[in-house]
Amino acid sequence: MIATADSNRRWRRIFLIVGAIVAAYALLAPLTSLDAVQSANVPLLADKFWFRIATFIVMFIVMATAWNIIGGITGYAAFGNVAFFGIGAYTTGMLVAKAKWPFLVALPLAPVVAALFAALIGLPLLRLRGHYFAVASLGVGVAVGELVQNIDYGGQPVFGGASGLFLPIYAVDNRGLFFFYLMAAAAAISIAVTWWVLRNRFGYGLIAIRENEEAAAVLGVNTTAYKVAAFALSAALTGLAGGIFSQWNVFINQDNAFPIEYNVQMILMALLGGAGTIFGPAAGAVLLQLLIQFLGGTLPISFDLPFVSTDARPIVAQVILGLLLVGVVIFVPRGVIDFFGGRTRLSLSYLRRSLRETSL
Amino acid sequence: MADFVQLVILGLLAGGVYVAVGVGFGLVWGVLNIVNLAHGALVIVGAYLTWQLFTALGLDPFLTLPVDAVALFVLGYALQRGVINRIIRGPLLFTFLLTFGLNLVIINILLLIFGSDFRSVTPAYSGQGLEFGSVVIPYVRLISLGTAILMSAALALMLNRTRIGLAIQAISADRDAAQLVGIDLRHAYAVTFGLGAACAGVAGGLIAMIQAITPTAGEPYTLQAFVVVILGGLGRVSATVVGGLAFGLVEAFGQSIPGSGSVFANAIAFGLMVLVLVTRPQGLMGRLK
Amino acid sequence: MTKRDHLIGAKVMTMRTLALLAVAAVAAVACGGTSSGTTGSTITLGAPLGLTGSLAKESLLTQQGYNLWLDWISSQGGIVVNGVKHPVTIKYYDDTSNANQSAVLMQKLITGDKANFLLGPYGSAATATDAAIAEQNEIPMVEANGAAQSIFNQGYKYTFGVLSPANKYLQGVIDMAATLNPKPTTIAMLSADDNFSLEVADGVNTYATTKGMNVILFKKYKNGSTNLSAEVQAAKAANADIVLNSGHLQEAIAINKAAKEQKVNAKIFAYSVGPSTPDFITALGKDADYVYGGSQWTPQVKYTPAFYLTVAEYVAAYKAKYPGRGDPDYHVAESTAACLALQRAIENAGSLDPKKVRDALAALDVTVFFGQLKFDSRGLNVYKPMVVEQIQNGEHHTVFPDNVADAKPKYPTPAWDQR
Repeated sequence: MIATADSNRRWRRIFLIVGAIVAAYALLAPLTSLDAVQSANVPLLADKFWFRIATFIVMFIVMATAWNIIGGITGYAAFGNVAFFGIGAYTTGMLVAKAKWPFLVALPLAPVVAALFAALIGLPLLRLRGHYFAVASLGVGVAVGELVQNIDYGGQPVFGGASGLFLPIYAVDNRGLFFFYLMAAAAAISIAVTWWVLRNRFGYGLIAIRENEEAAAVLGVNTTAYKVAAFALSAALTGLAGGIFSQWNVFINQDNAFPIEYNVQMILMALLGGAGTIFGPAAGAVLLQLLIQFLGGTLPISFDLPFVSTDARPIVAQVILGLLLVGVVIFVPRGVIDFFGGRTRLSLSYLRRSLRETSL
Repeated sequence: MADFVQLVILGLLAGGVYVAVGVGFGLVWGVLNIVNLAHGALVIVGAYLTWQLFTALGLDPFLTLPVDAVALFVLGYALQRGVINRIIRGPLLFTFLLTFGLNLVIINILLLIFGSDFRSVTPAYSGQGLEFGSVVIPYVRLISLGTAILMSAALALMLNRTRIGLAIQAISADRDAAQLVGIDLRHAYAVTFGLGAACAGVAGGLIAMIQAITPTAGEPYTLQAFVVVILGGLGRVSATVVGGLAFGLVEAFGQSIPGSGSVFANAIAFGLMVLVLVTRPQGLMGRLK
Repeated sequence: MTKRDHLIGAKVMTMRTLALLAVAAVAAVACGGTSSGTTGSTITLGAPLGLTGSLAKESLLTQQGYNLWLDWISSQGGIVVNGVKHPVTIKYYDDTSNANQSAVLMQKLITGDKANFLLGPYGSAATATDAAIAEQNEIPMVEANGAAQSIFNQGYKYTFGVLSPANKYLQGVIDMAATLNPKPTTIAMLSADDNFSLEVADGVNTYATTKGMNVILFKKYKNGSTNLSAEVQAAKAANADIVLNSGHLQEAIAINKAAKEQKVNAKIFAYSVGPSTPDFITALGKDADYVYGGSQWTPQVKYTPAFYLTVAEYVAAYKAKYPGRGDPDYHVAESTAACLALQRAIENAGSLDPKKVRDALAALDVTVFFGQLKFDSRGLNVYKPMVVEQIQNGEHHTVFPDNVADAKPKYPTPAWDQR
């Protein structure tokens, strides 16, 4: 599952250059929306829609990269990370909407609360292996959302209840630009953290746990502490994304802060890009979200489906999305980063080989 | 007292549906190591089949159940043989993703065919029932429970007594050894998944009678199947039966919590499941392998 | 038969002929528009809808309502602004029933498609998210499918709801019950735990006592529950005269099935959402009879419209465009009404400027087939009454208030074994 370093350097360099160009463009485009730049007749490269969708995609980069720490590097199939996203969102949301804290003061608490919660539930949960851990973490994800929505105290909902929380619209110039850079900073932090983990004793321990937990323990890795730390780290980053989301989106409730489908999406993104790698989950997040948006018809480039009526078009788009997911899992099991990482090139023999490896 | 008895009965009857949904899910999970996120979608395929046969041909819904089972067996066999077998040696999460994709495909094909209207099967005897004083036992739910238990028993019998059943059990114990003794893995895997799908189809037929169905109506059942299977213990049909009935009871009594009612039903059920997992990973009824 | 709406290439938009109503084909070039005599630039409206996913049914009804108006306004040649006719187009996107995606699409409609004005999505969660987007972009959004008052208590200036707020949904049933003989006095209230349903239930809990009735049982359940037999059993044990449910179609059907199974013989069964849709009757058959529903609108209401179709014409237009689907239900009607409110506000403003249209919406007071369209300071239409309908012999009848009723309530509901 992991792209190794002994790869074809040329392809690796091309991948890095392309990625760097895309990232540089995405990071610089927002500047064209500033008044000073606009008055200098620079073309507008980032309108409000660009900001909305770019921030949304970067949010998934954070979540997929964060999941990668526990799911990809440590090999524990966390299926309930959306709980940390929601906890982060509600931490910031409660402090801003109810306690009237300034947003930037409230935000740092989002990752802290999410990490504490992860450490707390991680102690019992991380004793489970394989499917059992996946299902138990899914259960936590579902249960937390339900509790947040329904807990009453003295007849009054504690966390805003079913009505959710409305945060005041954040008063800042260039709001779109502000939230994009904030979310991008979170993404940079998660990628930097992943990079640090993979180059550290801590990361070696996590990989050892993934490959063989008993052996890791014999070698002197304190598996419990390592696993809980990885889980909490993953939760902190996811919670950070949630905290930014709550102020950016203004309104949060169980539906949008604890969407169960995000559990699947973040894993999908990590696997699509290449689990266990530094940039894989980010690449997967960009690719999958662009695909979803493309099929939904929201990108500037659109397409026509022959023989499909307008009414059926969105439904057929969902069928296509499902088929593409099936195809990707079957044919590209190591993630697309494989192609760019220099390990291999997309070819018929590659597809045949991956099929043979995983087939019965 | 009568209220209490009634509540217990309602919980057990509701549990029948969870048993029906759970056995197929548990079989596929326990034997093939596949967490089938498309299970709920398969359930709803069965539900639409029953609805279609009831509306178009006027068939009694219970008589359509064998049709559901056969049709879903074929569909399940084909899915496993043609698609899922291709990734079965891949890492664990792949089956999540693959079946998530299948789920999306099935739901939206149903949406294309049947539209988003709410449908339900309401036969003439729906709502009738046995009465003992103030305690009522509705026929449809009673027969549903009976069907679920009968189906589970048949499945258990098949696994323990037939050639293919023993082959499936052998795979569940040790895949590679099973292959060495000459079991055709591809076929046996496909039969297992087909059996799981057939159970889902029957469950769908029952569900069409007790609620309204839409293409997305199966998603909650996938979630509940997790709980049911884990509560009872993975790997044994009888354990799933216990898990399903327990889940029905939890749901029924969750409603009587003052103030909150059943809004915490999922939290309680999942909380219970996590508790069971952590303290007894083999489930309430399971044996450790 | 709706329009195809793909952006092909850069900004050329094509509209297909609306064959059904034989509307002349209009080829409009976005941004700038064509000019032939009195035809102005095209007005683009936009709405994200859950065309796939769990809200597909309700979203479809919403879209039908929007499209009915679109056909009509297109046959008129467009909206008249200062003597110039502006053709109208509505752009839809599928938010897959996901509120976060709805927000992305709202921004896409505003920025990418240059939508002049916005129509609401389906559901209170998506509406709340989208209201914040409309507010930040200062583009008016007229919505017809988010009745939770919490959305309107945020001081937003650009969101308007044409429908009566949630707390009114079942008050009509209470009013009606107070006129019946023998008068029912006890209520068992079941409610889903989403914000809309809880506001409906709170409305009943506070209102019932003013009419001399008591809520003797209040049970919350999980939104989307399909098995509610335990809740119904509690209602049976409470032996209330009235069984109320505040939830959605799925839960209404589940409760009605369970009520029959457990022989719950209340004098009134009334559900907030559900009974008004044709699906309720087709799913339950004869068991749907005698059920009451609180409704925003019924095909029997009697309002004198200032413009657009009369109630009878509206029903006929719906049946012509969507044959085999029965009468339009209130989701369709309120969605059409949102378009009408927007149309009249644009006409009154005499401008396509979003701020002027917003002010015109705030000052709007007009009656159409749907009832009075007028907004309070929060943007909520508190002026239109709710009506009560009852299913009698497999058909919807309006039974309250008397001045719009076409039938008397069949009261009390007979016991299940005497039907």
